[in-house]
This record gives sequence, C-alpha cells and structure tokens, in this order.
Amino acid sequence: MRAVVALGAALCLVAARAAAEAPPGNTIGYVFTDLFWSVYQTDGAEECPQGFNDGPREQFAARFPAPEKLSVEETRLAMEAATWHPSGAPHDFAFHEIESTYAYGLDLDGESGPNDFRHPDGSPGIDNEIYRAVGCIIGFRGPDGVEYIFQSKAIKDEAYNRMMINLTGVDSLENDDSITVTVYRGRDELLTDATGEAIMPGGTQRVDRRWGESLIRHTRGRIEDGVLITEPIDGLVIPWQNLQVPSVQRIRGARFELRLGQDGAEGLLAGYADVDTFYYQLIRNDSTHHLANGQISAISLYKALRRLADAYPDPETGEHTAISTALDVRMTRVHIVDEADDGRDDPGGSAFPVSGR
Amino acid sequence: MRSLSERGAAGYRAFLFLLAGFAAAMSVAGPASAGDWREVPLPPGFQVIVNELEGPVFADAEGRTLYEWPQHVLRNGYSGEAPGIPGCYGEPTTVTAGLMSPYPAGIPLPERDRRPACTALWPPVLASEQAEPVGDWSVLERRDGSRQWAYQEQPLYTSVRDRRPGDVLGGTRRRYRRDDPAYRVPVGPPPALPPGFAVKATSVGRMLTTASNDALYAFAEDTADSTACRGDCLQRWAPATAPALAAAQGDWSLLERSPGVRQWVFRGKPLYTHRLDRHSWSRQGSDVPGWSNVFLQPAPAVPASFTVQSTLAGNVLADSAGRTIYVYQCADDSQDQLACDHSDDTQVYRLAICGAGDPQRCLAHWPYVRAAAGEESPNRTWTIVAIDPLSGRFAAEDDPGALRVWAYRDRPVYTFERDKQPGDVHGGGIGEWRGMRNGLRAFWLRDDYMQGIL
Repeated sequence: MRAVVALGAALCLVAARAAAEAPPGNTIGYVFTDLFWSVYQTDGAEECPQGFNDGPREQFAARFPAPEKLSVEETRLAMEAATWHPSGAPHDFAFHEIESTYAYGLDLDGESGPNDFRHPDGSPGIDNEIYRAVGCIIGFRGPDGVEYIFQSKAIKDEAYNRMMINLTGVDSLENDDSITVTVYRGRDELLTDATGEAIMPGGTQRVDRRWGESLIRHTRGRIEDGVLITEPIDGLVIPWQNLQVPSVQRIRGARFELRLGQDGAEGLLAGYADVDTFYYQLIRNDSTHHLANGQISAISLYKALRRLADAYPDPETGEHTAISTALDVRMTRVHIVDEADDGRDDPGGSAFPVSGR
Repeated sequence: MRSLSERGAAGYRAFLFLLAGFAAAMSVAGPASAGDWREVPLPPGFQVIVNELEGPVFADAEGRTLYEWPQHVLRNGYSGEAPGIPGCYGEPTTVTAGLMSPYPAGIPLPERDRRPACTALWPPVLASEQAEPVGDWSVLERRDGSRQWAYQEQPLYTSVRDRRPGDVLGGTRRRYRRDDPAYRVPVGPPPALPPGFAVKATSVGRMLTTASNDALYAFAEDTADSTACRGDCLQRWAPATAPALAAAQGDWSLLERSPGVRQWVFRGKPLYTHRLDRHSWSRQGSDVPGWSNVFLQPAPAVPASFTVQSTLAGNVLADSAGRTIYVYQCADDSQDQLACDHSDDTQVYRLAICGAGDPQRCLAHWPYVRAAAGEESPNRTWTIVAIDPLSGRFAAEDDPGALRVWAYRDRPVYTFERDKQPGDVHGGGIGEWRGMRNGLRAFWLRDDYMQGIL
C-alpha cells in the first residue's frame, strides 16, 4: 500500500514538474473535441420542478385535436410558418424555465444580481440565461438529449467544426501572467485510437486558411494555478454543423476558462450568444423532425430567448440581441501547423482564387 | 468592410478565374458524345437524347424524357415504386401520408379541388398490345389492364414539366438522401466506363469517380503517354491502376508507368486519386496547382452576371452583387410525393416558409433574382422567366407587374435578405427537413464539408 502511495506521490510530482515547465517552443495547441451548452442537471431534475417542456409533437396534438377536419395549411404549415417566422409575443403554451440557484458559467458582467446563478462551487454572479431557457428541454440535457447527442458526435466527426486554440509565449502551464491565444479552424481528421472512438493527443492539425481565415481570432490570457483565463473576444464565430447544414454560432465577449494539461484542456467558453444566430442555427440543422425528438418547441424557445436576452441592446429598439451563456469545452492537445507562417505552399493551395470573407 | 457591390465585383473576378480553372478541366471534360454511354437495346420508338445537364437520357419518339420513380425509404415510411409494380394512378390523393414527421397522416391536402392526380403530372409510358420486351426493357400490366413500359423493372413515365424535346425538367440524377422526397429520376443508358469507375451528377457537371466514390484527378503536365507525377508527387497522388488484361476502348487508354504497372488514361490524361481527400466526390485536390477534377460533361454555363463567393464551407453561386443563390425544393406529404417546387404547382408550401403565407413578406425575405434588361438565357438550364410576384405563378412578359427573373431548371431562384455580405449563407436549410422537402438550399459549386454539390 505504501508503495502505491509513494508511486502516486511520485507521479503527481512528475506531473507538477511537467506543468511547471514550458512547452516546447513555448507553444501548445489544443483542438476542440466536446462543445455543448452547459446544463447543470441533477439526477432528479430538481431544477425543473414543473417538469420538462412539450415539443412540436405534443403542441400539435394539443392545438389540433382533430387535424383530419382541418387542412395542411391550417395545421402543419401554420406551425412551420410560426417556426420560421418567430415572434417574441406570448402564446398559449406554458414554458418551463429553470428554477435553480445553480448554474455553470462565468460572471460575465462583474455584477451579482437577483437574476444571476451561483456556481456549484459557490461562486456568485453566474450569467447563463441560455441555461435558464433550455435547461428544462429534454433535447438539451445529456446524455440522451438529441442536441447533446448530435453535437457531441458532430464536433468530432465533422471537420467543419474543427476549432482549436494555440497558446504562444507560454513559460509554464502552471502560472504565466501573459500569453497569446489564437483561435483557428483546423482542416484535418482527429487522431483516434484503434477503435476510432477515443481521441488521442499528439495529432497534427493544419490551420484552415482555405475557408476558415475569417474565423481566426487573437486575444491575450494568463495562466493561474493551471487554469487559462482569457480576455474577452468580441465576435467569436464558431462553425456549428450538427446535422449537415453548415452554420455558425456568434459569441460576443467570449472568454475561455480552461484547466490546462499536457494532453488536453477542459473548462468553459462563456459569453453572449447572438439570439437570432442561436435560434436559426438550431432550426436549420434540426428541422421540426429532430426538434420533435428532443421535445424542443422552437416557437416556445424563441419567445424564451427573447424574454431572457440580457445584453447588447439594439440601438434603435432597445431590445437585447444577445443572451448570456456558457459552453462546456473539452480539448485534446494537437500540434498546430500553420503553413502560411513558414512560406511553404499550403497543401490546400491558394491557386484557387477566392473572394468574400 | 467593403460594400456588397465591391465584394460582388471581387467575386466576379473570382468567377472568371473559376471559369479559367474549369477550362483547364475541360481538357478532360467536354460535351457528351455518342461514345460516353454504353449502347443498349431499345424498343422501337425510343431513343437516346443528350441533355446539357443530365447527359444521355432515354426519350420516346417525341423526345419526351423517360423517368422512373424508385422506392425511397423516408424516416417513417416509404414511397415510390417497387420494381415491377406501378404505383402512379389517376385518382388524386386527398390526405397526407404521414411521411412528414412529426405531423400525422390523414390531414386534408391543400387545394383539394384542384389537386392533380399522379398520372396528370406523370403520364405512364404505355406499350401497345404488340410490344415485346427488349434487353432491360419489359412491359408491365397496370391496374386497368393497360400495358406500361419498364426499364430494369421500374415503370416508366414522362413529365408534364418537359415541354420541348430533350427537356429534363421533371427530375434530376443529382443524389438524394433519406430525408429527401421520393423523387422521379431520369433514366438513361449506363456511361461507358471500365469496371471500377462511376459517374456522379453534381452542380458543376457529371464527375468521374472510382466505384467507391473517390474523386479522380488529372495533372496538366501529364500526357496520354507520359506522366510528370513521379517520386514525391506520388505521396499525395495515387495512380488509378488498371489490371493486366485491361484494354483501351473509346475515351479510355492505358499508360505503363513502370514495368507491370498500368494506369488508366481518360481522354488523354492519366487518372489519380488524391490521398488527402477527406470525403467522397471531393474537389480538394483541385486546389493544388495543375490538378483538376475530371468531368465527363461540364454543367451548362451560369448567367454571365452571376458570381462565385467563398464561404466557410466552400463556394456558392451568387448574383451580381455577391448574394448567395438559393433553390426552392418541395414535395408534398402524399403517397404520390407530388412536387411543389415549380411555379405551376401549388404555392401554399413555399409561401408558408418564405413569408408565413404573406407574398409580400416572401418578396422581402426571399427576393427573386431579377434578370437585367438585355440579359438573355444562356442555355436551357438557366432561363429567364416571367413571374407574377404575388401568386408565384408564371406570367406573360407583358403582364402588369410581372418580373423577369432567373430560373434554374425552370424554377425561379432567390436570394435571402439575412445574407448581408458575399459569402453569407444564412438561408441554406431553411424550411422543412433542412430545406429538402419544403425549403431552400444554397446553390453550392464546391463544398468541402457536406457534399452539397450532389
């Protein structure tokens, strides 16, 4: 037993020394392998005392108990029209918001108000109104919710979603008061073990300068006790294709809080999601069929998002255009190759001229 | 930030480059010719016609393209015809089939009093009493005792959308998937290919691939008798090797790269696959200078005023100001799976998606792509049509308020008001089933992520 304890202590010491050392070239890169809206959920769903929300199937049945006496225009197309031309006005279905003190996320505005959550670790002032909106929708809850399942799969399988961060000027993974953080999109498959399922550290990712140049962002950060804390990035665009429709999420004031390791990183990406972008990304990829499987009423959700939006007021109407959020992030260490840096030809090539973004 | 028109001009320049890129590919691609397909026996009165988009198709004596309606499994049911069993008849269906999950079956369909029967849109190709099977052609008996031609056991139809001999407006060979409707598909002779190769219809032409759907490429510096791709080049490019007994035929010949190693050559260019391609039907290898995909037949030219714009996922076709072009797709939730994407079809589906039933909102959200004065249709695929903007129906050109708009395969195309700058594609997937069954799809010319060109 003592030998085991001694071995464990030795390993911890090795790990601590490794973290304290500078990575090769003072640079370390990580690729996203998990990214999903952070939902604090208890086993008994105590945060949803009213139960879970109804979806399109249940709302259709309630609204049209005898559809055979109506028409396609009066039923299905009426619901589709309301989905694709949403309104923030109240409607006749109850919507269950989260009723919990706790949420994951960050204090984005530096204030602790009555609408803020408390982090399970006790930290006050957590801003996460998307959680308030989606937390009682089955489709957004892990591990069985349809959004959770599809996004968890797509983030690994779809190269369109291949986001990564590169940290440069790193003197130590334990403490460094100033590093540079660059966000890129990669263009390669993830390195896996022989099963093809487990993502392995040590793979290589080429920076996507063919289609993804407009996604590149730079910010500064610091590492405190092994945790990376970045300054906000205003206008982070995250490619988000979970059901074959290439789309994006736009996060304003985006910041990372990640525990760094030699093989990976884990933590939160928080900021303010653009409401319309969030909504249309969801419904364009899912359509009503998949929304129904997750009991996600787009019509009801849009009203909640509009009601709970809490940032970036429209200068003309005063209506908030963005909503606070946090995403759970897991990353695996990769070697990032930016062929634009060293003068070599991009294997993707620049021979094919492009324009636009 | 540059203005839309400035960005559009940049896009146009890119488009000229694109055409130049295509021209390089044209050394391998060209208009379809008699050698492009395999000769098959035809019953008397039938012929093969080459369409500029679909390639060779079967047609009847009047030049009407023949279509089949293969069975297609949808999410919660299936539609189409099983081999040997006609399923398209003269009684209009009146209620939904429940194929449009999550909506139930049995809901009365729109415009029931005017709803056409399946055979009103898809007249069966009837056979005379004396007709005899020939090759893959056979004769089936319909419920009323009439006889119908079939090819490879699939009942054959013509389309009322085809107005001129050689039109293929009723359907396309472009790939469709589980969430697409059960489409009608033009039927034609098989392409003349050695074993191990295939042809895929895409938005940019009929692409040559391996039988396992890997894109094939040609190198500009190669000739039929020599290759410049040796040594390090082969780390990226894999020659399409031929078996020892393979024989040259038609457009196909062979190059002996080294003793005992033979490579397929198509129209004078040795063929390769690209080892870094991530997915089937890829065009990623064409980014490498000198290399191009191989097409049996290029797609017809797009209107000269259109541009190509780069997006996060690839290149889209755009209007002169750089706004992404969208095509509306629709089939109803009947067992007949009748299309609703044409201006002669009911417009209630389109109006629901584009404007919640309000034509003015549709015009604001999804404006038609107007043809400028003096612009003319470049071919039969891209045409200028007159549209009544409120009804969405075709109009006479001199009708008051009629718009001259661009149409692809006789269907008007649109831009999306939420696309604010070139390269925006915020409208793709809007509508039911990610835009596949009642909605809008971006006109992709190249995508590296979701096979949108298929």
